[in-house]
Amino acid sequence: MIRLATDVGGTFTDLVGYDEKTGKVFTSKSLTTPQDQSIGVLDVIDRAESASGLDTDKVRFFAHGGTTVINAITERKGVRTALVTTAGFRDVLEIGRGNRPDLYNLQFHSPEPFIPRKLRTEVRERVGADGRVIEPLNEDDVREAARLFLEEGVEAVAVIFLHSYAHPDHEKRCAELLRDLLPDVTVCASYEISRQWREYERTNTVALNAYVQPIIQRYFANLEKALAAKGVYSAYYAMLSNGGVATFSQAVASPLTLVESGPSGGAAGAARIGAILGERDVLYLDVGGTTAKCTLIRDGKPNLDAEYKLEWARTFPGYPVQVPVVDIVEIGSGGGSIAWIDAAGGLRVGPKSAGSAPGPACYGLGGTEPTVTDAKVAIGLLDPAAFAEGAMTLDVELAQQAIAGLAGPLGLSVDDVAQAIIDVAESNMINALKLVTVQRGHDPRDLALVVSGGAGPMLGARLGRELNAKSIIIPPHSGIFSAWGMLAAHPRADIRKTWFSPLVASSLGELAKLFTDMEGEALSYFDRDNTDGVTFSYTVEMRYHGQEHSVSTRFTPSMQLVDFAEAFHSAHETAYSFRLPDARIEVTNLHLQAEIAGNVIDCPPIDNDGRTVAKARKGERKVYFGNDGGWKSCAVYDRNGLPCGERLSGPLLVEEPTTTTLVHAGQVLEVTDRGIMVITEEVR
Amino acid sequence: MEQQVRAVDPVTQEIIQGKLLSMVDEMGIVMARTSMSPVIYEVLDFACGICTRDCDLIAQTNGITLFTGTFATQVRSLVERFADDMAPGDVLVTNDPYAGGTHSCDLAIMRPIFAEGRIIAFAINVAHWLDVGGAVPGSLPPDASSVFQEGLRLPCVRIARDDKLLPDMVRIISENVRLPEVALGDLNAQLATVRIAERRILEMVEKYGAATVQDAFDHLLDVSERRSQDVITALPDGTYEATDIIDGDGISTDPIEVKVAIRIAGGRMEVDFTGCPPAAAGPINCARGALSSAVKTIFKALVAPQEPSNEGWFRPLSVIAPDGTVFTAQKPSPTGWYYEGSVHASELVWKALAPLMPERFSAGSYSSLCVTYINGRTADGEEFIHIEPQHGGWGGAPGRDGASAVIALTDGDTYNYSVELIEAKFPLHVRRYALNVEGGAGAGQWRGGFGVVREYEILSGEADIHSGFGRSRTPPWGMDGGGSGSLNRLDVVDQETANTVTYGRLSHRRVVKGDLLRIATGGGGGWGDPAMRSRDAIAEDIRSGYISAERAASEYNHRGTATK
Repeated sequence: MIRLATDVGGTFTDLVGYDEKTGKVFTSKSLTTPQDQSIGVLDVIDRAESASGLDTDKVRFFAHGGTTVINAITERKGVRTALVTTAGFRDVLEIGRGNRPDLYNLQFHSPEPFIPRKLRTEVRERVGADGRVIEPLNEDDVREAARLFLEEGVEAVAVIFLHSYAHPDHEKRCAELLRDLLPDVTVCASYEISRQWREYERTNTVALNAYVQPIIQRYFANLEKALAAKGVYSAYYAMLSNGGVATFSQAVASPLTLVESGPSGGAAGAARIGAILGERDVLYLDVGGTTAKCTLIRDGKPNLDAEYKLEWARTFPGYPVQVPVVDIVEIGSGGGSIAWIDAAGGLRVGPKSAGSAPGPACYGLGGTEPTVTDAKVAIGLLDPAAFAEGAMTLDVELAQQAIAGLAGPLGLSVDDVAQAIIDVAESNMINALKLVTVQRGHDPRDLALVVSGGAGPMLGARLGRELNAKSIIIPPHSGIFSAWGMLAAHPRADIRKTWFSPLVASSLGELAKLFTDMEGEALSYFDRDNTDGVTFSYTVEMRYHGQEHSVSTRFTPSMQLVDFAEAFHSAHETAYSFRLPDARIEVTNLHLQAEIAGNVIDCPPIDNDGRTVAKARKGERKVYFGNDGGWKSCAVYDRNGLPCGERLSGPLLVEEPTTTTLVHAGQVLEVTDRGIMVITEEVR
Repeated sequence: MEQQVRAVDPVTQEIIQGKLLSMVDEMGIVMARTSMSPVIYEVLDFACGICTRDCDLIAQTNGITLFTGTFATQVRSLVERFADDMAPGDVLVTNDPYAGGTHSCDLAIMRPIFAEGRIIAFAINVAHWLDVGGAVPGSLPPDASSVFQEGLRLPCVRIARDDKLLPDMVRIISENVRLPEVALGDLNAQLATVRIAERRILEMVEKYGAATVQDAFDHLLDVSERRSQDVITALPDGTYEATDIIDGDGISTDPIEVKVAIRIAGGRMEVDFTGCPPAAAGPINCARGALSSAVKTIFKALVAPQEPSNEGWFRPLSVIAPDGTVFTAQKPSPTGWYYEGSVHASELVWKALAPLMPERFSAGSYSSLCVTYINGRTADGEEFIHIEPQHGGWGGAPGRDGASAVIALTDGDTYNYSVELIEAKFPLHVRRYALNVEGGAGAGQWRGGFGVVREYEILSGEADIHSGFGRSRTPPWGMDGGGSGSLNRLDVVDQETANTVTYGRLSHRRVVKGDLLRIATGGGGGWGDPAMRSRDAIAEDIRSGYISAERAASEYNHRGTATK
């Protein structure tokens, strides 16, 4: 039986297959087909069949990550969508939160709403904060709204009423009426996607969900048809943003959960690598062509971002969505990032990227601006002849020429500029890695740094050293690691619910009861009638009375009040460095995580027979280390020939088809029995 | 001093600048996450920064613009007072409005950072405390007539030694403020931020050496200065003037006429407030530190809106104003609602400069934070205070209509309150939260954006309210032929008589269950002649319900209704 994953990225569609019986791993890559991504998916399967003998008949599990949802949103290509709100509140979506993070921009505007005012309609109804009905739903208003929508030719309608997280009946009835009256229109009610408070965030969530739902519905229908035609008859799963997977039909019901499916696959993979090595707390860095992304994995699970915002930037509020998304900090520093000199005469790297066309100057495709990849070629980190499995020869001279353009203004040699470009890119990454660790109360010395992406492993060793990370880990298949990670994901549901209450003795019973209800919801989501094979974990968000921000605390139904309160105090102390033992505690949200256990991808043991360090050695290459020793000769090894258990001292390079790993002087590389590379500081 | 070629290589320079930003970010995160005051965690009424050993601001995190330019003066006044009497682990404090500060509620704490035996930098944090004592809860009586009604003052004193709070100071604070736990909680959060700053600066010094760090600071300031000067040099030399009216001082509603003359020559800008009236009787005055900050806000918007802030940018700027005016109040003039005055200093500069660089400016905005206080008791008898600033309409700008419902210039990353959260927390029922389209916005080729309407029904037996709404009589200004915006107002509707009274700055009113508060903020001014507005844009506005057909007819001479 084979488990298969395809990950559609901006440029490439990646495939990883895993034969559970033999442990064999299949990989392939093809170009992404933006018009209909399912074509590229079939291409990549074709390639795997012809190049590595993948047998599609044996596929029993198919996981898919793609960019259909995020593309429809960023390109504003969703369907014509309307909104129904409680009377008096149709402008909430347009008002947003009104913050102006771009402080000195006197022409600042809040994010443009996805549904224009003329398509936002109010109906009379009202529920209070305690879930009590203050005014019943006026069904005539709903009928009137339906008439307007018909006239306006909308394809989707979102429904949001105040406090529906506490009492969804009005939304339920309104959606039911609209579905009857508008049979060809997609209708989403907010309670179906989010049971959390904050009306703007929930409105935005349901609006975006409706905006993309018909599109993802069509996409998955196409993909299923194509896969069936290809002979891939298996359960079809979509990679979710929370590090889990869901069936296509579950994903269609709440498509917004697919927004960050690619990066979330990588995070699931990093958690899996951690599990194989016995590391529960992992800091994950993926360096791609245009960006670097960092995620923290705690206790074996990627951290979720409770306040995820699409298109957020330092100076732009973005669009908050109340769906579970892995907490990812993303910065514009990748292999293709362009180095430039700013108005102050300083050297900057990114966020502008050379992309794949023309790409870095060394590609010889017409690019003239120096990129991080050019710098790597110039200082000898990359072998110009063996790039991308030898599919492309890099031009060292073009790289040097591009870099030379900066040498004059900076008053540095070409070698030093190249080293400086890497220094600045690394410094950007360090600041981002600190944001998800130190600045959130986690000590990097307790964390293993897992580094993937085509451009990551040659930077990882130094980043880990600067952060004082416990170890630096280079997983297998680093260049297609998101796809690999999708085979490590379990079917998973995250259910969040707002429940506002002081924490008192009777709360524990109520919490247990609420969680039982939520377990029921999870089971019906999984379409199961019992809990066999389903694991649940319970988290309660709490805060001190008077505070605004909550801290998550693990809950078990058998807990005593005093222990539960202590767990909260201690979580607060870890996050913010202090506790207030006498302050009252308030519950704000409940979070149930349900997962169906099952087989996931493993790293098969490597066959050490006949492997020796000497045989793995491909030769030597001079690499420039700047102030740290200038040009030094480094041994170059082939990753696929390295034996396990040997300790190799840096500086050295390890090459594999999709990436190169650099180990610095003073560091030691060891390959585990499962082919994972672990770099640590030499004990002096 | 001898001129060196360049002491720091550009790479180290870039990396040090990146570390400075990540350092002040970290200070900001700790502050926002651990504070007990909504005014800090929701409104982000605080700022953190690092100053050089010469007291020049080198890096800052800003939640709001009010603190754009206060740090350097505050650090300077502390250093002047303590001179050599500073040691590692000391923390000094000031909330003196007349020594670079703003109002008594804003507590600035400063920690000198020592490296290699001498001061290398100062870390500073200023935060708005919920209450510092004084005449009313919150310490901001809208009709205060002297600073002594505005609470405890700690003018340049030591608050900690060896990184430990001095017990005498703790006692003075806890006996003089209404909510000591909250005040000390916030003080602890502030101390944590400057402690972190010290740790990070010392890491930097360890890595690069004190001399390199110092040189990098100097270089950053010099480069910013040069870039700022380039922008000013490119503007036509000349004198640019503007006038405006402040709608009452909280005690009387008499108009207060203010003005500015800006002289640009030789790459420098001189902003002169000579001729502004003497300090007002009520608390809308600001002192010199807040005035300078208000001017710097617009100067920054002009020269480099998105660049990280430091003192270098402001070197080509000087601010001139005689002592004792409404913008340079002196002890004991009240300054509690200083931002209601200082925003007009900002707006004067904005209004005078807008025609020079239209791509950076917009027409006048609703300006006032329109803060409302509602306090009373919940059904359980517990006291509550709901303090809320409001968002409003901004002016049109060449190429785009004004922004609707964003926070006033004086604030920044300030969120509105969620209706669902408010109803769960306070005995208030929100009837409506909408764009204030009926209030209208300034007509123009690019019309103003709309304010908001928020209606509160009081659910508790009784409650007390007070408020500070500016621009309740003088509307936001239009630019280049655009029309004026609309007014801010607070309507209180008596449930028994259905009688409505409209207020601006209100010192006190008792309301009872069922009464309705309607908070309505104004629309921004228009930019450009309304006759130039595209007919399609007008029709689309009618169709979207932004303006009525009648208003389209009167403001734009638009005939006919919306077309599809």
